[in-house]
Amino acid sequence: MLEQKAGMLQPYLLLAPALAILTAFLLFPLAWNVYLSLHDVSLTTILSDWKYVGLKNFANLIRDSDFHMSLFVSLIFVGGSVALQFFVGMVLAVVLNQQIKGSNTLRALFIIPWTISAVITGFSFKFIFNDSFGIMNYGLGQLGLAPVSWLSDPGTVVWTLVVANMWHGTPFTVIFLTAGLFSINPVVYEAARIDGATKIKGFFYITLPLLRPFVIINLILITMWSVNFFDLILVMTNGGPLFSSTTSSLFMYRQAFEFGLLSKGAAVGFLLIATNLVLAYSYMKLLRSQDK
Amino acid sequence: MLLLEKSLIYFVIATYLFITLAPLLWVLSTSFKPNPEAIGFPPQYLPGKPTLDNYIFVLTDPKLVISLFNSLAVSLASTGLSVAVSALGGYAFARFDFKGKNLLISIILGLFMIPVVINIIPLYIMLANVGLLNSIFALVLTFQILIIPLNIFLLKNYFETIPKELEEAALIDGCSKIRAFWHVIVPISMPGFLIAAILSFRFSWNEFVLPVVLSNRPDVMVFQVALYQFISLYRIDWGYLTAGINIALIPVVVLMLFFQKKMIRGLTLGAVRG
Repeated sequence: MLEQKAGMLQPYLLLAPALAILTAFLLFPLAWNVYLSLHDVSLTTILSDWKYVGLKNFANLIRDSDFHMSLFVSLIFVGGSVALQFFVGMVLAVVLNQQIKGSNTLRALFIIPWTISAVITGFSFKFIFNDSFGIMNYGLGQLGLAPVSWLSDPGTVVWTLVVANMWHGTPFTVIFLTAGLFSINPVVYEAARIDGATKIKGFFYITLPLLRPFVIINLILITMWSVNFFDLILVMTNGGPLFSSTTSSLFMYRQAFEFGLLSKGAAVGFLLIATNLVLAYSYMKLLRSQDK
Repeated sequence: MLLLEKSLIYFVIATYLFITLAPLLWVLSTSFKPNPEAIGFPPQYLPGKPTLDNYIFVLTDPKLVISLFNSLAVSLASTGLSVAVSALGGYAFARFDFKGKNLLISIILGLFMIPVVINIIPLYIMLANVGLLNSIFALVLTFQILIIPLNIFLLKNYFETIPKELEEAALIDGCSKIRAFWHVIVPISMPGFLIAAILSFRFSWNEFVLPVVLSNRPDVMVFQVALYQFISLYRIDWGYLTAGINIALIPVVVLMLFFQKKMIRGLTLGAVRG
């Protein structure tokens, strides 16, 4: 009897270390963030008692035009990144899935940008897109075109970041959709070919419908990651010029660690967490329905 | 395949291969140029006077060398810890039926989806209050939240591919389930652990947001952060910086290229099957 009880405890004991770490460093901070966003915490008051301020941090956000700007910047950055990464990733996954020589080697090369860090990607593109000595502007000059202020023109800078993020993030979509393509039984293509369907038709009427669950999950994941992704931007522009390339997640970071307004940052964090939970929830819903 | 189709396919591949490799090759080439030449205009595709000075600078600058060692220590420690902890958790999910199992799986999967960066402010305040800012130990613990969820799923799926009969034989011989795990499962799961370890290393080595906030004192700084400080500290010396970039990306790129096939399988196992 006692032995049986010990046996029932075993799985919990096995999970205990993982759950302890995740609770202390992930779940607790996630929840505590709500408390912080309702108090007045700054870098100077971090070790003293914090004043309860209710929804003041949120009220300040609603009035903050820089925050409005960050929502707009996020919209372009996330929309542009997701659209480009998905489109390019899909094309590459499909192309690599044709019977071509060396497709494994090619996949290995295509994956490189995803294996290196956002910081390193950021530095490299900061160098390439430098206004005065960058090789991009040199190339434009060779083609007889005027140089572009890639990182210093408020209207252009977000798009430059989207390009860098596409370079960094596309390989994930390639791998993910490749896994999806592998899961499709080649027999269905055979059948379609006998029925006289062209390859293009086959893609839209067979591949895409069968790939649907992968496509949706992939879109949710890259959306979520783009919403939160800011190290690349921090390195390339620091959110500038002024706030013109500050996405909401970078806005959170800058409020907290550049201006010291930790609880104002926490309020932004709360909004980001809500966004993420909605995205994660829809991911799980779709994953479950796919299992059935 | 039609000729037109074939040429279209190779055109797409060649174009994106260029987009993928050109920035890397450009940075590589720049890293061998003396500093004035690195930002010379018009740019030279290949270094006119190739030099190793940039690498020597990076590898002899005390701050950068310390940060390289810190990165290595943090990455190895968090890799080891996360594989161990996730192996236990993954085994519990793969081989036991217990109350709340599905709920726990959902929670951990949900946590894996949610990027850690939105936690930096509460984590910073929390660690500041317990005096654990600027601590390598705390850094290793916080890095776990990046990797444990992924590793648990990866190893859970890996253990599920091992036939149950193997342990059942050991159980009949009177082993406890835990002993069976240690003596039967662990030795044959090395390929699974390897995938988990490489992914963990990649995530730890590349992580920037957590260490830039939680440990930015020079003696506990990691390499990615040291490079970032480097641009604000000096005016940007692109020769040095590009050398630093290459040193930072060598370990992960080599690992990934070497274990490429296993990685793709591992990633999709972890991400798709959940």
